[in-house]
Amino acid sequence: MSYFRATDPFPLESAEHTKLHEFYARLAVGRLATTRCATCRRLAWPPRAFCGECGSDRFDWVDLSGEGKIHAFTIQEVGLPAGFVGPRVFAIVKVDGLRVFSVLVDAEPAKVAIGQTVRLSPLRVADDPNGNARWLPAFRLA
Amino acid sequence: MRKVALIGAGVSKFGVRKASYRDLIWEAGKACFDAAPAVKPKDVEGLVVGSVMPERTAFQSHISSMAAEALGIRPSALSARTEHMCASGTVGIRYAYAFIAAGLADLVMVLGVEKLNQPSGDEAILNMGTGVDREWEASFGLTAPPCFALAAQCHIAEYGTTEEQLAMVGVKNHTHAAKNPNAHFQRGATLEQVLGSRMISSPLRLFMCSPITDGAAAVLIASEERARALTDKPVWIRGTGQALDGFQLTSLHEDYAHWPALARAAQSAYGMAGVRPQDVDVAEVHDCFAIAELIAYEELGFCPKGEAGAFVADGRSDYGGDVVVNPRGGLIGCGHPLGATGVAQAAEVFAQLRGEAGARQVPDASIGLTHNNSGMGEHVVMIYGRERR
Ligand SMILES: [Zn+2]
Repeated sequence: MSYFRATDPFPLESAEHTKLHEFYARLAVGRLATTRCATCRRLAWPPRAFCGECGSDRFDWVDLSGEGKIHAFTIQEVGLPAGFVGPRVFAIVKVDGLRVFSVLVDAEPAKVAIGQTVRLSPLRVADDPNGNARWLPAFRLA
Repeated sequence: MRKVALIGAGVSKFGVRKASYRDLIWEAGKACFDAAPAVKPKDVEGLVVGSVMPERTAFQSHISSMAAEALGIRPSALSARTEHMCASGTVGIRYAYAFIAAGLADLVMVLGVEKLNQPSGDEAILNMGTGVDREWEASFGLTAPPCFALAAQCHIAEYGTTEEQLAMVGVKNHTHAAKNPNAHFQRGATLEQVLGSRMISSPLRLFMCSPITDGAAAVLIASEERARALTDKPVWIRGTGQALDGFQLTSLHEDYAHWPALARAAQSAYGMAGVRPQDVDVAEVHDCFAIAELIAYEELGFCPKGEAGAFVADGRSDYGGDVVVNPRGGLIGCGHPLGATGVAQAAEVFAQLRGEAGARQVPDASIGLTHNNSGMGEHVVMIYGRERR
C-alpha cells in the first residue's frame, strides 16, 4: 500500500512561519503562554494575533499557570490518523479559567477522571523540515 | 422570493466501492436524471458540487467543471463547489435554493460526491484531521470520534443516558439500512452486536459510528414554474437555517451535550416553513455517531432536553413512533461519504414525500426534515413539504 502518504501534521512554529512563535518559544522552556488583546484586554485561548471582539491586532504575551483540572476526556483506542497510536487520552483542561484542548501523556487510562489536576508537559514532536525542534502543549497527571 | 422545489433525486451505491471519483458522479447523475425523465443534461442551468477532500483522495480540484463535463451539463447560471466539511452537501443545496429563489437560475443540480477509500481508509482518517483546527487540535491526532465521544460523556454524566440507549441508535439505523439497497451495511444489527463491538473512543463503539464510505448523490432543484412543467409531484423547500457556535472544541458551549447552534438553525427553518417539531413526519439527521442523533432529537425539539435516550428506547424515533428518524439507515447504516451525505438525505426525503420509498416508506409522509452538521458547533437544517404552502 505504498500509494498512501502522510503529510506533516504539526504546525510550523518558527519565527519566520508564524506570528505565534513566542508561544512555542516559551513552551520549549516549559512555560504555557497565551495572548491578551492590548486594546480590550481580552485573554484568549488559543493565542491569536487578531482580536475577534474589538478588531485590534496588538497583543501581549501572558504566562499561564501551567496547572489545570480535567474538564472532560475520552480515550481513543483505534482509528487514529497515521503517526498517532492508541490508546490516546484526549482532554479538555481548565487552566486559569480557559478551556484548553490537549492530550494527557503517560496516563494510564483507568486512572484518568474528571476533576483531576494535571500539569503542562511539553511534548517534543518531529522537527520541522528545516531541523527546528517543535513542541506541543501536552499535559500529564499531577 | 420565488418558491423552489426538488424535482428529481438519485444516489449511487454507498460502500467501499471499486469505482473512481468520476464513476460515482456518473452513477448519482444517472440515478437523478432517471428520476426526472423530462430533464436532459443540456436543460440544467447550474451545478453545485459538495465535496470535501478530492484534492487528496482523487488528486483533483476544479470539481464542479469536471462533474459538469462528466454529466453533459453546460452551466449558464451557476457553477460552484461547496466545501463545508460534513455539511458540504446541504450547504450546496442552500446555494442552489438561494439562486433559484432570487431568480438567478431556474434549474440547478446539486451533487455530492466523495471517494474516501483511495486506496485505503487510512487516507480518509488522515484527511479527517483537516476538518478540525490543524495547529491546536489535529496536531494532537484529533479527528471526529473523540469530539463526539466528549459529547457522549457529557450527556451520560448529566442526564443518565446509557450505553444501551446509545446502542439503540445503532440498532435502529443498521436495521433501517437493511431495507436500503444503496446502504453501505445491509445486515442489520442486534443490541448485543452493537454493545459487543470494538471500542473506538469511549463510550462510542464501532456500530455507534459511521464508517468510511465512497458514494455520491444528486438532486435537481427548480423554480415553481419550471417544477410544475417538469413533474406533477414536486417536493417543496419550505424552510432552511444554518448557525454556528464555533470551530474549535474550546469555542463551543462548555457542556458538549448542548448544541445551541442546532437549535438556532432549526428555529430559522421551522419559522420559515411555518411548521413545528411535532409536524415533522420523517427526519434525516446527522448520526455520524449515535450521540449526535440523540442530541439532535433534543435540539430539533422532538423531545425535551435530556430525554433523548428514552425517546429512542421507547421507539418514538422509529416506524409507529412520533417521527421516523433516518429511514434510509442514517450515516451509521449508509456510510458517510462527506459531501454526498447531505444530498443523500435530501434524496431520501424526496422519495418519502412522494410516496416512492418502497419498503422504507413512512406512511403518508407530508413534512420532512434534514439535519447536516460539520462538527458539533455548525449545523444546517432543511424542511421540505409535499404541499407548497
Ligand atoms: Zn480586543
